Amino acid sequence: MDEFASRQYPVQEHMHFQRRMWLVERVGWAALTAIALLALTGLFGTGWLSKATADGKDLSIRYERFQRATKLAEFSFRFAAGEGERSLHLNTAFQQNYEIASIQPQPSRSQAGEDGLTLTFATSPAGGMVSLWAHPRSYGISEIEARSGSAPPLAFSIIVYP
Amino acid sequence: MDSVLKAVIVFFVLWAIIRISGRRTLGEMTAFDFVLFLIIGGSTQRAITGQDYSLTNALILVATFVALDIALSVIELKYPFMRRVLNATPTILVDNGHLLVHRMRRARVTEENILEAARRLQGLERMDQIKFAILEASGDISIVPAARQGTAEAVPVRPS
Repeated sequence: MDEFASRQYPVQEHMHFQRRMWLVERVGWAALTAIALLALTGLFGTGWLSKATADGKDLSIRYERFQRATKLAEFSFRFAAGEGERSLHLNTAFQQNYEIASIQPQPSRSQAGEDGLTLTFATSPAGGMVSLWAHPRSYGISEIEARSGSAPPLAFSIIVYP
Repeated sequence: MDSVLKAVIVFFVLWAIIRISGRRTLGEMTAFDFVLFLIIGGSTQRAITGQDYSLTNALILVATFVALDIALSVIELKYPFMRRVLNATPTILVDNGHLLVHRMRRARVTEENILEAARRLQGLERMDQIKFAILEASGDISIVPAARQGTAEAVPVRPS
């Protein structure tokens, strides 16, 4: 008798179904392993796949390409060398999708405008770095634009997982 | 609205993960399995509740989970096929002392597991004393002993 044939006694078997379930189980194990391995690479945030930069003449930004809703994410803005105060402008998408937890150093002024948020920092002539930590409010894709002064904005998109 | 959706997603994802982890982890739970289940609970709990610690949210979540559980049991009752999908089906692993090794390998059950169940449930010592060993849908192994001389259950029932 074929070992995988269904027997009726002492219990009714459904071996065809059972073999399919065993196959589904194995596919499922592979999927679970894949999730763990992909998470290690940073596909779901925090890892080398997630690290991203946007570079402009006056401003360069380091951020996480993949973020998770409510999980604190860091943005760091580096201003190029130059005299006087620097302003950092972030568009409305940023304002709407993020809850800012902390900014280092504290901006000397912050101003809400029609097209977003403007933060003003006192920096040394050699330039400087500003770190901003914020919680994404909800999942989706955020199209962020950031600029320093009147320079053309740096645009980047962030995928926020639920 | 959000809470209900989260509860539904977590319910089905957890169900699928537990289901594909195989029957061995469901029935014969070790101390470590127990710890694992606590960790799974802890990891998902915050994602479900989020920052909403209100009584309303707790009630919504409990209602959703229990309703889903009842819904599944009703579906199981109505459709035999769904019973198999949701709860697995029994599989015979030993037939008259003869090991069905290919089935055992797929189901991740070893000869030792079967002998252990035989000792524990029936006080049997050897494979040839086992008539049937069945991996039940619950994940437990049940043992039907081979006929023995001088015991009540060993008397074969003959139609008169």
